[in-house]
Amino acid sequence: MIKQVENPILEIHDLTVSYDQSPVLWNVDLSLPAGKLIGILGPNGAGKSTLIKSVMGLVEPSSGYVKLFDQTLDAVRNRISYVPQRESVDWNFPASVLDVVLMGTYGKLGLFRRPGKKEKTLALDCLEKVGMTAFVHRQISELSGGQQQRVFIARALAQEADLYLMDEPFAGVDMNTEAAIFQLLQEMSAAGKTVVVVHHDIYSAVNYFDWFIMLNLHLVASGPKNEVVTEELLRKTYGGKLNLLSKVSELIRQKEFNPLKG
Amino acid sequence: MMSFDQNAFLIIITASMIAISCGLLGVFMMLRKMSMTGDAISHAVLPGIVIGFLVSGTQRGLEVIIGAGILGILATLMIDWLRKKARVQLDASIGITFTLLFAIGIILISVFAYRVDLDQECVLYGEIAYLPIDLWISSSGQSFGPRIMWLAILNLLLVGGFIALFYKELKITSFDEKFGIVIGIPASAINLGLMSMVSYTTVSSFEAVGAILVVALLVVPPATAYLWTRDLRPLIQLTILTGVLVSVVGYYLAYLFDSSIAGMMVTVAGIIFFLSVIFTHKKFKFTLGTQKETQPFSS
Repeated sequence: MIKQVENPILEIHDLTVSYDQSPVLWNVDLSLPAGKLIGILGPNGAGKSTLIKSVMGLVEPSSGYVKLFDQTLDAVRNRISYVPQRESVDWNFPASVLDVVLMGTYGKLGLFRRPGKKEKTLALDCLEKVGMTAFVHRQISELSGGQQQRVFIARALAQEADLYLMDEPFAGVDMNTEAAIFQLLQEMSAAGKTVVVVHHDIYSAVNYFDWFIMLNLHLVASGPKNEVVTEELLRKTYGGKLNLLSKVSELIRQKEFNPLKG
Repeated sequence: MMSFDQNAFLIIITASMIAISCGLLGVFMMLRKMSMTGDAISHAVLPGIVIGFLVSGTQRGLEVIIGAGILGILATLMIDWLRKKARVQLDASIGITFTLLFAIGIILISVFAYRVDLDQECVLYGEIAYLPIDLWISSSGQSFGPRIMWLAILNLLLVGGFIALFYKELKITSFDEKFGIVIGIPASAINLGLMSMVSYTTVSSFEAVGAILVVALLVVPPATAYLWTRDLRPLIQLTILTGVLVSVVGYYLAYLFDSSIAGMMVTVAGIIFFLSVIFTHKKFKFTLGTQKETQPFSS
């Protein structure tokens, strides 16, 4: 079930990516509408992060191409924001919370110019949105995992982009933080921003997102929630993980979530 | 016992400038977990120096610096290639690259020994004590003071300028290179620029402090400063302070014991480092060298 859209904000055409000869993404072809909160679901090793990284130009595809806002990546870098996995950096780096969030403004500043008052105000504003105002001058090595994640999201907000790509922003985050971040993402999408999130938890995903990409090396599904969150497609995505699947069926039953009625 | 004549002043000033140049670059090398790449570069430039020497016929030619710069960048690219394409561990690829290039340099020196007024001793250890008698004399016979001091001034200006101009870019690519690439920072150009600066600084400081001791100045003052602070600006300031302290104390101790100034400087740097470890041991979490320690994350 792959639903293509008119005037997509992000178009991925026949994308294949391999590491060391072994393909990690096969022929992914999809298009995404603007202003939606989009979840990428799939088991471990399904290529979820790779998909985001190839959109961001961090991974070289073997074939296929990506178009953003109907243009190439280089033409629209300032309109795209990226939240990498929290573990991808060493948090012992000597910097304060504010320093890291200010890095989000570097792209628009260009070479040689340093962040000034305007950038600082913006960064403080972004920190307020993620509820980190009390930690502005804290060293990043002294933050908890959930706080680190919020700092990364604040940095992405400081980019003032239209399309946000987030790699597992809820990994290792407590329930309160997850709910707070999700509320923020909903506000962003209500304001017309497009937010694409790699997510590993099907339970919460069903509540959170309104468009789903289901991935397991191949693209299993891409479409609005009520069309693609079905037991059949989830089974196809997660393969033989029976334990998980019985939980999914249970979940769908409990919530009386019947996509066919939707 | 303590003398403060003009020679002492010149030597201390020059040593301080070299220590500051190395320290400024060393801070970013450390934050990129590339301290040992600095080590590799400082040895790998040797064949470049010999070739530059053979081409120009003098130790002081521009060709020597260019040759060293090219070899430094070559070493960086080779380490990178071995790591990414041939899947060799980073520390192993550093070990392979710099020993190979250094050995080629040694062979070149011995093969062309009759034409090369350059010995391994000088390259490895250097001698800053000769600084006051090695003057820069213009063609009209006018003396401008010690030649190596002028090299150190030029070096410090270039390194300082590089760091000041690209501070923001160096900071972001050291912390989160991928994010830097995504927002359009020319990360590989910045990286090559930093490596070129390290190569150039190595060559420029060779005659004064030698290859081995350049490495110490690249690694030890930043590592010492990191024990005391977790903020980039104070980290740089403390590194500079440590570099100057090492030069002053190192000079006077060498004078006192009548020994090698560069050797004493590095010994002093080591002592300051270990004293810092003792005084700050609760904060001692950083990993030295190229090994990246996995930190447990709490959520």
